[in-house]
Amino acid sequence: MLALRRIEKSYPLAGGSLPVLKGIDLDIEQGEMVAIMGSSGSGKSTLLNVLGLLDGFDGGGYDLDGVDMAGLSEKQAARYRSQFLGFVFQSFNLIAFKTALENVALPLFYQKVSRRQRQKRAMEMLGKMGMDDRAHHLPSELSGGQKQRVAIARALITSPRVILADEPTGALDSTTSSEVMGVLREVNASGITVIIVTHETDIAAKCDRVIRLLDGVIIEDGLSSEVVEPTANGAGPV
Amino acid sequence: MLNRETWIEIAHTVTANPLRTALTGLSVGLGIFILVVMQGLGFGLQNGVQQDFGDEAKNTIWVRTGTTTLAYRGRQPNRYVQLHNEDEDRVTEQVVETPASSGRLRMWGSVVQYQGEQGNYPMVGVEPDFDDLDLIPLTGGRWLHADDLAMESKVCVIGENVINELFKGRPPIGEYILLRGVTFRVVGHFSKNGRWGNSMVYVPLTTMQRLFQGNDELGSMVLSTGDEDLEGSSAMVDAIDSDLRLRYAVHPEDQRAVRVRDNQEDFAMFDRVFRGIRLFIWIIGGFTLLAGAIGVANIMAIVVKERTVEIGVRKALGATSGSILSLIVIEAISLTLVSGALGLMAGVATLNLAAPYAQHDYFTNPEVNLRVTLTALIVLVVAGALSGLFPALRAVRIRPIEALRYE
Repeated sequence: MLALRRIEKSYPLAGGSLPVLKGIDLDIEQGEMVAIMGSSGSGKSTLLNVLGLLDGFDGGGYDLDGVDMAGLSEKQAARYRSQFLGFVFQSFNLIAFKTALENVALPLFYQKVSRRQRQKRAMEMLGKMGMDDRAHHLPSELSGGQKQRVAIARALITSPRVILADEPTGALDSTTSSEVMGVLREVNASGITVIIVTHETDIAAKCDRVIRLLDGVIIEDGLSSEVVEPTANGAGPV
Repeated sequence: MLNRETWIEIAHTVTANPLRTALTGLSVGLGIFILVVMQGLGFGLQNGVQQDFGDEAKNTIWVRTGTTTLAYRGRQPNRYVQLHNEDEDRVTEQVVETPASSGRLRMWGSVVQYQGEQGNYPMVGVEPDFDDLDLIPLTGGRWLHADDLAMESKVCVIGENVINELFKGRPPIGEYILLRGVTFRVVGHFSKNGRWGNSMVYVPLTTMQRLFQGNDELGSMVLSTGDEDLEGSSAMVDAIDSDLRLRYAVHPEDQRAVRVRDNQEDFAMFDRVFRGIRLFIWIIGGFTLLAGAIGVANIMAIVVKERTVEIGVRKALGATSGSILSLIVIEAISLTLVSGALGLMAGVATLNLAAPYAQHDYFTNPEVNLRVTLTALIVLVVAGALSGLFPALRAVRIRPIEALRYE
């Protein structure tokens, strides 16, 4: 489904460049639930952005559903993002002046779906997230967990093959984090690939596969039960 | 492109910071207001001057004479050059070819009486062709005929003011009036523009010469240039001018004794002057509007900066550069167009309110026509599009990842 071959990525710095990803090789199959872990600056968010076509790469190759993503124009990247990928952000990134329903319906607007269909599908998706009673509320009227449910609904509305979540529980308390992870697990159970960037062991432990990065290199890649150590509070692989 | 979502987003941008929006809109609205009012003033001036021209045909040459200012061929200055019927005959038969001509004699302040009412009006003796040369729009009855001149008939054609002031609503055709104590029958009436146009009383030239002058003197002559262009009419002017100077021994440099005026050239000159004035007004108004458009561009740049993260999110959700660009440009056009339209309406309303109080000999009907209004609206749309384009291009260049990292 997703195949990275010797991906290189650097950020320009004054008088040189800072290599962030150093020859990443990675295959993720349809239906996997993968956590990408690593300390700050390890390159995990950059890796997620490359996977999500939000950022380019300097060397190597990236196949998405068998199509080479190297050298895509911005318009082509937007189309792939719209068709294949859904995004969930740490800070939700809901549009403040749009209601939950309008936020969820927004990706369909860019797919030129009719207004009636947008509203119908967005309401159904909010219903699946248990958020239909909050459909007409603005983000400022929702709790953190509710916002993230709306964000997940927005990511799922276009029926993507892959959900990319950047620290989806980073702004939530532990109870709400568990709820959100439960939702993402349900999403994954429906056959959608879920890739989560996190630095929280508890969250990674709830995924099937964990990839650990250090200084732009994959140092561990295996089942969560193999990679993640149980934490003091007993959290471990599901 | 222009769907409900777009309008909701525009409404949000506009209402998110009402003071900022109002001040920006004010600068655009004020710009177009100034442009419209200045255009209106320009047209008012033009209308005033055109009114002074009255309804004169453009293709006419007016010949007037005066006192000589220069000695010439043994003759002293201060000699009055008097036109006669023979001058008109000679000029039209030997000097130039013209489809129509008329001698003209005018007596200011002629007392006109009708059934106890009386007033002073200019009495003008003319020939039948004068109707075509000075464009007399008849509102009833008939114009002077060749027979009227041949028979020196005591008939007249009167202006609208004379009817209103003396006839008090009664139909004037066939009625008799006293003109300088002589009875004339009203055979026609007219209504025309110009300062004095509606107060004239036209009578046959020959009748006037016999009854009130006792000679064949003319005050002036007017000739049609027919289908001649400016070059052709100028040649006619030169020929008439040379003939009269030769006939009356007038110095070639004497500007007062013989004056041959080409209406076509006068119209062309006024047209050039007013075109220049209008261009000047457009330039001034354009710069004022530009200041407003820069204000809009500034606001849109701030809006783009404020919404950087949102733009990144939209791109992550599938928005293309085109959709982001069009959203921002349409926002800018809407802001410019709405505030500009308000300024336009305010300008038109101001001109309409001021028009009744701004009537003068050389200034009347300050107005803006449809062409100016449409041009102003097109200028607004272009200004709005340009003011939104640069911030929009900046927004388009924002890569989604940079936008999402932006705080």
